[in-house]
Amino acid sequence: MVGLSVGEKHFIKGGIEQNLRTDGRKRYTYRPIYVETAVIPQANGSARVKFGATEVIASVKAELGKPSPSYPDKGKVLIHVDCSPTAEPAFEGRGGEELSSELSVALQRCLLGGKSGAGAGIDLSSLSIVEGKICWDLYIEGLVVSSDGNLLDALAAAIKASLSNTALPKVQVSSAASDEQPEVDLSDEEFLQFDTCGIPAIVTLTKVGKHYILDATSEEESQMSSAVSVSVNRQGRICGLTKRGGAGLNPSVIHDMISVAKHLSEQVINKLDSEIAAAEAREEDVP
Amino acid sequence: MEYVNPEGLRLDGRRPLEMRQLRAEIGVVSRADGSAVFEMGNTKVIAAVYGPREVQNKSQQINDQAVVRCEYSMANFSTGDRMRKPKHDRRSTEISLVIRQTMEACILTHLMPRSQIDIFVQVLQADGGTRSACINAATLALADAGIPMRDLVTSCAAGYLNSTPLLDLNYVEDSAGGPDVTVGILPKLDKVTLLQMDAKLPMDTFETVMQLAIEGCKAVANYIRELLLENTKQLEFRRGV
Repeated sequence: MVGLSVGEKHFIKGGIEQNLRTDGRKRYTYRPIYVETAVIPQANGSARVKFGATEVIASVKAELGKPSPSYPDKGKVLIHVDCSPTAEPAFEGRGGEELSSELSVALQRCLLGGKSGAGAGIDLSSLSIVEGKICWDLYIEGLVVSSDGNLLDALAAAIKASLSNTALPKVQVSSAASDEQPEVDLSDEEFLQFDTCGIPAIVTLTKVGKHYILDATSEEESQMSSAVSVSVNRQGRICGLTKRGGAGLNPSVIHDMISVAKHLSEQVINKLDSEIAAAEAREEDVP
Repeated sequence: MEYVNPEGLRLDGRRPLEMRQLRAEIGVVSRADGSAVFEMGNTKVIAAVYGPREVQNKSQQINDQAVVRCEYSMANFSTGDRMRKPKHDRRSTEISLVIRQTMEACILTHLMPRSQIDIFVQVLQADGGTRSACINAATLALADAGIPMRDLVTSCAAGYLNSTPLLDLNYVEDSAGGPDVTVGILPKLDKVTLLQMDAKLPMDTFETVMQLAIEGCKAVANYIRELLLENTKQLEFRRGV
């Protein structure tokens, strides 16, 4: 909950109009991004991402499961987000549930594509081990520790970082009769890394007044009319789209927002990749 | 199972009277009034304090003192095996209550009438002793928020396995079924504010185990005091005093 006076609201809106926001940024600048990997030792992969005062943790746990009958050659990925009350007293009790589901569904839509897994950032067929019998189930858990706006972009970045930190043990399948459940043997030494270059980044443009801004803080978000989150991959393809906020948008404005988001995504993906690489290098330095 | 080997070492290589590595950091949630991370070995919790502020639910308002509220939650990834737990199970409600009562005992609530203090603790990694870690984190967060307190409450657990008193149990030792004594003290006033034990223990052994837990609490108190002093010095330096 953000309590702002009339003057403060005016100041935020006026700043955005003049391309100088309250924290000194321009409309299309991100706050400093900080990435730390391998923060949760129990998980297969994890990462903590900070966008200014927004802080989220994502973890990936992999379990062996059975593929769903309709897609026997694909693994399963589940994304779930929790909003901790440490981030905002309003998330206490069941208060955070609505936002949690909104974020979970938006992430699922933007990162995993449709039901069949077509257009997913993660190649679901790479999770299959024995077709129709065994596959990897990835459980991706997000946790919002501190919230200062732009949670969706931060969560997507954290998920990407945690997936690039994920190591799946190599699986040896002993050949069994075709109708039996095959036995598997997990290797303790050999691990497979994920290819994360296909994972899209989410770019959220928040519309305040006539202009849109990137990486809005919660004060700015309280003044928004609507926000469009576009997930764009490295090839510049749009993988998912969500619009939030009550006000209606002109279709031409949406087109413009998408093209701006697409244009900005390249710089975001590069920035994020270099931060993830830096975090992994740091982790290797400290044994 | 052997929890203390003949050389006198525990499963994680500690001596029976040795604590796990402590690590804490103040001011980790920038939007909260006070916050801290507290780690005891692999157990890691975040605490955030909001307040003193206006009472949200007017019917809870007390006219001559502040309302202290606490919520304990565990992250889905905090335990070894992945489980989707309902958010308000009995265990977390009980721990919320324990933390609230312990903190209420040390906050000078009468100085802040008609206001509310919220303490939120979030477990990031659970490896035994979450109760203690939560209380220690909450103390640090309250101190960071500048809330007046009688003393710094600190907490530590001790157990008794293989006829050896053990300090600061980890998850494996905790689930061994032996007694687990969790103690919370006000170190300067030398008072016990929290005492919980399960399983059974002979009277005289209980005394040694409890004494051990109290020693643990004092060690935590020393660490917290040093950390707060360091933090205050930094704040002073930044203000240019």
